[in-house]
Amino acid sequence: MKSLLVIPVLAQARFRPEFIWENRDVFLGGVRLTVFIAIVAFALATVFGLGVALLRMSKNRLLAPIMAAYINIFRAIPLLVFVVFVYYGIAIQFDVRISAIQAGILVLTLQYSAWLGEIFRGGIQAVDDGQTQAALSVGMSRPQTFFRVVLPQAIRIVIPPTGNMFIGMIKDSSLVFIIGVPELFRVSSVMANRTFRYFEVYLGAVLFYLILTTAAYFGVKYIEKRFALVDVLTTRVRSPLARRRGIRLRMIQEAVASEREAKSSETGTAM
Amino acid sequence: MNQTEDARPVVRLRKIHKSFDTNHVLRGIDLTVGQGQHVVIFGPSGSGKSTLLRTTNLLETPDSGSVWFDGKEYGPGIEGEDLPRGKARLLRQEIGMVFQQFNLFPHITALDNVALALRRVRRVKRDQAEHRAATYLDRVGLLDKLGAFPSQLSGGQQQRVAIARSLVMEPKVMLFDEPTSALDPELVGEVLAVMRDLAESGMTMVVVTHEMGFAREAGDLNIFMDEGVVVETGGRELYDHAREPRTRAFLQAIL
Repeated sequence: MKSLLVIPVLAQARFRPEFIWENRDVFLGGVRLTVFIAIVAFALATVFGLGVALLRMSKNRLLAPIMAAYINIFRAIPLLVFVVFVYYGIAIQFDVRISAIQAGILVLTLQYSAWLGEIFRGGIQAVDDGQTQAALSVGMSRPQTFFRVVLPQAIRIVIPPTGNMFIGMIKDSSLVFIIGVPELFRVSSVMANRTFRYFEVYLGAVLFYLILTTAAYFGVKYIEKRFALVDVLTTRVRSPLARRRGIRLRMIQEAVASEREAKSSETGTAM
Repeated sequence: MNQTEDARPVVRLRKIHKSFDTNHVLRGIDLTVGQGQHVVIFGPSGSGKSTLLRTTNLLETPDSGSVWFDGKEYGPGIEGEDLPRGKARLLRQEIGMVFQQFNLFPHITALDNVALALRRVRRVKRDQAEHRAATYLDRVGLLDKLGAFPSQLSGGQQQRVAIARSLVMEPKVMLFDEPTSALDPELVGEVLAVMRDLAESGMTMVVVTHEMGFAREAGDLNIFMDEGVVVETGGRELYDHAREPRTRAFLQAIL
């Protein structure tokens, strides 16, 4: 009975925003792990996702349908259920020694590989077939054609949706709290339960997630800009690399033009 | 100008068959292209002329038939023959192709479009490859567009870059698949001018085109195709004195 009386009193406790600042180290510890999990799982998912996409598009009679099934299954299981199933179900049943962080990263990677695989497949298939034909027609091999011509174009197409997925990854990484991974959400709820400062603590968590996802958003925008196509000869460019390239192109231009003039004065005729 | 009856053959297609599902697009085509010869292929759409061109460099693999080039046989081959087959990739390194839709690589500059295969296929060092690429861009009148991306170029300019991209590999034969069909009328001239220069330089060319002016002027060997077969071949006189009624009907319709 006593505790029931305590709760309403706490709910009316004065809002102390400085509580977030005072406990910043706890939050930042969680942030650090959240960022670690999100980046590692996303990097792995990018690699596997590309593999999934390529195998799914391949003409391999065995692997292509397996990949299609993989995508459908892993997209269909709720992440939270999947995390619990892997860590408490599979790991215990089959006595797999795996840490909670490893299990969390594994599950996020598996699921995001399926999502990213579909995004990458869409991006690769969006590249016109004429590109492949043109590359083959100058004698390039299939792998050269893929890596030099198709993939760079597909990457530009998939940057915005992939960026979305990364933001999703930051948020979804909070679901591994359920198996005790001390990431941002977990440390927040532990802190809240210990201090009863629910509002301040969860407000802090919300703010930190907001900061992370906003940073990711600007990161994606920056990457998009980096991939923009700019004529370094006719545009004022700021990056030193682009400027050097401009100087090089101008040198080539001059060299070729003077060669042409030398040749035409030699033979007395223009080309 | 380069036509001689006994010109050394460069490419020879024999008994080329190709079907797409139930559609028998090529029904046993034979064609010999001589050194320096300018072959023009024309005919109604769906006649198989583009497919024929694309089987020449094996972008399209025929169901059966053989492509002879420079002493080697390529493609699936002919039943009953057992000749060693060459690799399609090696054939394509020696035969250039220009597409109706240009198909420039949109993510790299005009210069890189031309230099790419030099570097990756011929393994030429970057400096040298770029210099050579620029020389070829100069040849098609685009030295000032080295740093431009395809989207910043007009259709005619894009097609000229595409021609330079093929020429830089110093192919023995150039294939043109309706190179001016996707261009605005005012841009056709610049591309045809480049092709004329190329023809005059003695390049062996096979051109699928609807540009009858160009065909009359450049075509040493003119081929009318319909429904997957060669209906009629002839020299320059073909355009005015076709023997086959189908050829005459087609020429009348488009001229």
